[in-house]
Amino acid sequence: MATRHLIIGGGTAGINAMRTIREEESTRSEITLVSAERPYSRMVLPYYLDRSIAESHVFTATAKVLADWGVKTHLGRRAAALDAKASVCTLDDGAKVEYDDCLIATGSSAVRAPVPGADGPGVHSFWTLDEARGVIAAIKPGSHVVMVGAGFIAFTILNSILSLGATLTIVELAPRILPRMIDDTGAKLVEDWLTKHGVTIRTGARLARIEDTKGRKRLRFAGASDIACDVVIMATGIKTNLDWLKGAGVTINRGIVVDDRLRSSVPNVYAAGDVAEGRDLISGKGDVHAIEPTAQEHGRVVGSNMAGKDVRYRGSLIINIVEVCHLDVASFGAWDDNRADAAAGLRADRPAYRKLLFSGDRLTGAIILGRSGDIWTSNDVGMLKGLVQTGVALGRFKEHLKKHPFDVKPAFIASRTTHTLLPETILGRPSKAPGDTPVAV
Amino acid sequence: MRVLKIHPEKCTGCLRCELACSYTQTGTFQPAKSVIRVSPFEGHTSYAPYTCTQCAEGWCMTACPVGAITINAAGAKDVLDDTCVGCKLCTIACPYGTMFYDPDTRKAFKCNLCGGAPACAEACPTAAITYEETATLDWLGDFAHERTARVLVGGRGSAS
Repeated sequence: MATRHLIIGGGTAGINAMRTIREEESTRSEITLVSAERPYSRMVLPYYLDRSIAESHVFTATAKVLADWGVKTHLGRRAAALDAKASVCTLDDGAKVEYDDCLIATGSSAVRAPVPGADGPGVHSFWTLDEARGVIAAIKPGSHVVMVGAGFIAFTILNSILSLGATLTIVELAPRILPRMIDDTGAKLVEDWLTKHGVTIRTGARLARIEDTKGRKRLRFAGASDIACDVVIMATGIKTNLDWLKGAGVTINRGIVVDDRLRSSVPNVYAAGDVAEGRDLISGKGDVHAIEPTAQEHGRVVGSNMAGKDVRYRGSLIINIVEVCHLDVASFGAWDDNRADAAAGLRADRPAYRKLLFSGDRLTGAIILGRSGDIWTSNDVGMLKGLVQTGVALGRFKEHLKKHPFDVKPAFIASRTTHTLLPETILGRPSKAPGDTPVAV
Repeated sequence: MRVLKIHPEKCTGCLRCELACSYTQTGTFQPAKSVIRVSPFEGHTSYAPYTCTQCAEGWCMTACPVGAITINAAGAKDVLDDTCVGCKLCTIACPYGTMFYDPDTRKAFKCNLCGGAPACAEACPTAAITYEETATLDWLGDFAHERTARVLVGGRGSAS
């Protein structure tokens, strides 16, 4: 009988796993997908919000693709319980799916600030496609939008909100913006840049409640003046979708604890993406990254292992990049390690900032800010990622980088980073193009 | 597969490759849009061009959330403009620093080997860039190590 794979979750991790199973398997298996939503990419929702793409553009594995891959689907259904001993998953409509191995990739959901009125009309999250549709319908040219939260998710839709002709106010509980992505110096630069581009920012703001007045929203704060607006977007964090798995016997810490093959404590149950607590490449410890690149790599490694290969995952690297008003903001790895040997550079003549963090003579983390039109910004972002990813010994080029943090390329090339990188692949073989997946016959 | 082989010791820093690249890729002589970049070494006394290795992993391609990077007939990773939304994930995923982003078009762009007839190799007057059937290697590492080290020892970055 063909091996029965069950994929729970149709996001980045699940889609990559299914594709990789089809690429790697030697004999045809049976794949069943359970997904609460039609598969789409959250990464591109900001471009749907600003109308630069049509809604159809967001879908990753369409009905045709899933049919080509020979996937049995339960779309619109959620997993309700897992019987890991019997290898059976029960869905929210009572259906039972038996499996030989299973991937849990149920992702995360947006959470709202716990204040009265947070669930009221005109208050939105921007996480799922449905939520994106809600925000699209709400924002009109001239709308005053208040974004609660100044983290990465908030910043991914900042350009879109402005391009719709809305005015934007960002309120953040922390004393500064992007508290989990960049340091104080970087945050100050971004804050000044955004203020210059017409965004109002209020940090250290303790939201008390959200009220309705005369068809508008009124945000009340502890110890600060009210803000009236038309639309409120709550970008106040996410939580992993794991409540349904309680009692299944799968070990959960902050996420599902997985080994270097991305297996959970139950050998035929894998986890990937936002719900997985996997190895961090820099620290070597388990961590929940909840970012797109980790979901992608996790998904492919799981797919390969489900297909009978034995792929070890060396760990994922935290990488984040967002562009706001043509300013690139990026950070990698252990950018917030206070004990690291660090060097920083700030340009006086243009919005540019670098911070490089070292352990011995290896780069372990970086923060980079610069105008997105500057070629050296894009290229240096990549090269710094390469230095962190490979952990090449920089030798005397470390001192060079510390003195000249804007002069990355000579250190990158002269440290023979390319030589270290060329053999590196996630699956132990060259990647296939997106359209090259074998289809069902 | 045929790849761009770089012979750094032959490069004179004339930048013709950048001009040819931008002309073929964008239709204008605009080195700022070139995806092959000549770097100076040893205090601007030697030079070498640097571009995408068309690596086996294809970090840009696997990172793309919408499948906008594919493999063209020449075996090069290539951006599909109609599909790219400009999210920049590829620019941070590429560990070689050879992805580019155009803020005007809001698209990523990169070396696609000009579909199999790379303009940089054609334009190079000293054959410092050749298009050959060979395994891709780190063409610049040793060259740059030696030359940069000389500058570090004797020059501004002297540290060890």
